[in-house]
Amino acid sequence: MKRTGDLDRSYLGSRAGVAPSTVEEPTSDIEISIIVILEGNAERAREIYREYAPSLRDLGRGFEFLFMTGPSSADFAAMVESLDARRGSFRVLELGHSLGHADLLKLALEHCRGEIIVTLPASLRVAPDAIPQLVECLDQGSEMAAARRWPRHDGWVNRAQSRFCNRVLNLLTGSDFHDITCRVNAVRRRVLSEIPLYGSYFRFLPIVAERQGFGVREVTVGQHRQYGGARVYSPGVYLGWLIDILGIFFLLRFTYRPLRFFGLVGAAFGAVGGAILTVLLIQRLGGQGIADRPLLLLGVLLVTLGVQSVALGLIGEIVVHFQASRNSTYRLAPTDRSAPSPGS
Amino acid sequence: MDARKVSVVVPLFNEEQSVRPLVEGIRRALDRESWEILLVDDGSTDGTVAAAEQLSRSDDRIRVLRLARNYGQTAAMKAGFDHARGSIVVSMDGDLQNDPRDIPLLIEKLGEGFDLVAGYRENRQDKTVTRKVPSWIANALIRWISGVNIRDTGCSLKAYRAPILRRMVLYSDMHRFIPAMAAATGGARIAEIRVRHHPRRHGSSKYGLSRTWRVLLDLITLAMIRSFRDRPLRMFGLAAVMVMEVCLAFTLATVVSVSTFQAPKLVFPASAIVMFGLSTYLLMLGLVGEVLVRQYQSPGVRPTHIAREIVG
Repeated sequence: MKRTGDLDRSYLGSRAGVAPSTVEEPTSDIEISIIVILEGNAERAREIYREYAPSLRDLGRGFEFLFMTGPSSADFAAMVESLDARRGSFRVLELGHSLGHADLLKLALEHCRGEIIVTLPASLRVAPDAIPQLVECLDQGSEMAAARRWPRHDGWVNRAQSRFCNRVLNLLTGSDFHDITCRVNAVRRRVLSEIPLYGSYFRFLPIVAERQGFGVREVTVGQHRQYGGARVYSPGVYLGWLIDILGIFFLLRFTYRPLRFFGLVGAAFGAVGGAILTVLLIQRLGGQGIADRPLLLLGVLLVTLGVQSVALGLIGEIVVHFQASRNSTYRLAPTDRSAPSPGS
Repeated sequence: MDARKVSVVVPLFNEEQSVRPLVEGIRRALDRESWEILLVDDGSTDGTVAAAEQLSRSDDRIRVLRLARNYGQTAAMKAGFDHARGSIVVSMDGDLQNDPRDIPLLIEKLGEGFDLVAGYRENRQDKTVTRKVPSWIANALIRWISGVNIRDTGCSLKAYRAPILRRMVLYSDMHRFIPAMAAATGGARIAEIRVRHHPRRHGSSKYGLSRTWRVLLDLITLAMIRSFRDRPLRMFGLAAVMVMEVCLAFTLATVVSVSTFQAPKLVFPASAIVMFGLSTYLLMLGLVGEVLVRQYQSPGVRPTHIAREIVG
């Protein structure tokens, strides 16, 4: 169930008896919105706010934390009180039913007010002063800043799997980021409104944004001192990663040319199958019986797979063909002057 | 849209040194016409944009379009076409290998009642083996598959009537097949004339041999688009029937093998079953295709083909 209007508990900030002296800025001054999607332990919200809010206060710009959570029994009111949070800077959006990550992100975008959006996973990954560093990078003209934790002081298990993951990603997508798995990014709102946000895209925001032609910079930030210990996940998690990487690889490379992918795969299967069948045919002509050879079945199956693959690619091409006749397949760079309007 | 304006679309990728002589050449060639030049920067990393914008500041008939990143030549040309204001659009390479003096000839030919006039290069000034031979094979294949009799589809120097550009679908790397696409999706009347071709003076070529397999796969797409794009079930149905025939052959082999040998051979019925599965799969996929086409061909969508009234 999705309660629209999603019980916005940010009013708690004012109702919970926050002293008037701490109410310094009206909400319209919010410049930076930090979106945190809480998974599981809602108490994390307290920890995250306590760690990251001070450096943002020092920045002197209006900010808000927007925590997205599913049904939760956590006492956010008490949290706000204990944190002495400024009015409106600690907001919680509670949904009656948990949604996918991408949906939550989109929902959060509708509700947050800042022009700069910071995505922050619900764990302490980067040093407390990382967010101002990312924001500064945006101030210098980038449209997105992706955090890279360096130097890292956590265990070799974490580093090895992180490095492996990023290597594979860079290899497949042709991008050049060192720490996509960090997922701490600062980004201008209009960028997020122009890139597709669904499924697992949120994991690869910098790569996707770069492919849409936005200026993305990697910013080296410190790793959080508490982020340590070997993080070994269940096999299902790793499998999920692999599938997501395959997905992003396919979408970035072949969205407008599915037959290049399916055709190549199909040609490979078909070629092996065809070779097998040719060999068998030659043997048959040479007088050998082939009816009891399992190899014949393998050859037939491979050719079948090849045909199926190419056929799927052709269906994809039909979709792309009609899609391309209505949608633009390119994006113009933002022009400061003499921006010509289309079709005038 | 200006009734007599000529828009020259030039995709640029790292052509810093070529921009100025190119624009000068076009300016001289189109002296007597009303014209505009669209310089489309395809994510150049050198001073191309600066050079182009400088030219644009000195003459407002020169317009600069910047793509957000390097999208490739097709997208760059498409962007130029989308933003062109003239009733006649000319496309050409930004590397000075095309000669702007040919533009008036193309336009003149267009005036004879064609929708698209393509240039073809005689005496190509390229390295023989790596450029000419693949191009020669590709052109023969494209001629055969597209049914459009064009000698040199790789030559970018072409002139179009604006309406054909709006009706032509252009995406992926389809710029190589513009005449074929224009014919297949727009019903264009196409002519070609001989144009000059100069050796490359600045920069380096952006092509290599590695694109061969891509071109081959794109050709399959082109063949499919040309014949079956609005009736995929025909294509998949035909394939399904062909596979079904193989299935029948295996079934026959099964019957023969069962009646001839004491121990029946399992491979034949198994293959027959696989082929039956494939045939069914293709048929189903064809139905999915029909549904997809139906989605895009709802009433109210304007026809993509262009037609001229010749009597009346």
